[in-house]
Amino acid sequence: MNASRAPFSALPQGLALFGALAFAACQGLIYLYAPVEAQLGLMQKVFYVHLPLAWWALISFFVVFLASVAVLLRASDAADRLCRAAAEVGVVLTTLTLATGMIWARRSWGVWWTWDPRLTTALIMWFVYAGYLLLRGLDLPPRRKSVICAVVGIVAFLDVPLVFLSARLWRSIHPAVFAAKGGGMEPEMKLTAIACVVSFAFFWAGLIWLRKRQLDMETRVRALLLARQGADEDEA
Amino acid sequence: MDHIYWLLAANVAVWCGLGIYLLFLGQRQRSLAARLVQLESLRHED
Repeated sequence: MNASRAPFSALPQGLALFGALAFAACQGLIYLYAPVEAQLGLMQKVFYVHLPLAWWALISFFVVFLASVAVLLRASDAADRLCRAAAEVGVVLTTLTLATGMIWARRSWGVWWTWDPRLTTALIMWFVYAGYLLLRGLDLPPRRKSVICAVVGIVAFLDVPLVFLSARLWRSIHPAVFAAKGGGMEPEMKLTAIACVVSFAFFWAGLIWLRKRQLDMETRVRALLLARQGADEDEA
Repeated sequence: MDHIYWLLAANVAVWCGLGIYLLFLGQRQRSLAARLVQLESLRHED
């Protein structure tokens, strides 16, 4: 395939669409296959949506971390754009994780929010990466901005393992579902949860790929416009 | 019955949130396409 045509491939859209359809199909598993939990009842089914959002948000930030290292080691512009795409998707998914978690908390614990270690570290993570996106929006020299953002992208990742481990390390009312042996879940529940996480992976990959491709195109358009401006000035 | 409303609220939040982000991506794509058309027309003028 011609390199200049590669960005217009329909693969990322296809991947996102397949993921969205697969995730929608998982609703069938959630409501028809997975048994209703004895204590929480139907409300427990929020978990099957909450879990993939949370896990893929954490993985997005891991991608930001890896790409930030690549920016510092190789001065890669492509890695810098990947950082931005992954951080954006991560913040969207974290927002939805917090929203579904709050709805769960209101119904199950009787409060919208509590300063539990898992919730607190997740909220800090949201603020850190929202700040990271604001930093990316600043008008700074491109190379300087990519280095600053790479350093912030690496330091910000310190909170991510804490979010994952918080329910195991400290006393938390948030359930650590897969922590205990057997996870305390019925096999049908576990299978449904895994199907939701796997199907959401395709949607997540499609989103990141799409956004990264948009950022690549924006960079190319900006470079073309600058070249055009330069040529006009030379003519003048 | 009360559970169903909360469950519905959670699902609405998720699908609306993802939908809004997809709309944002679509809007960015349209803006990029418009800029590309502008560049092409400039090239044709030359």
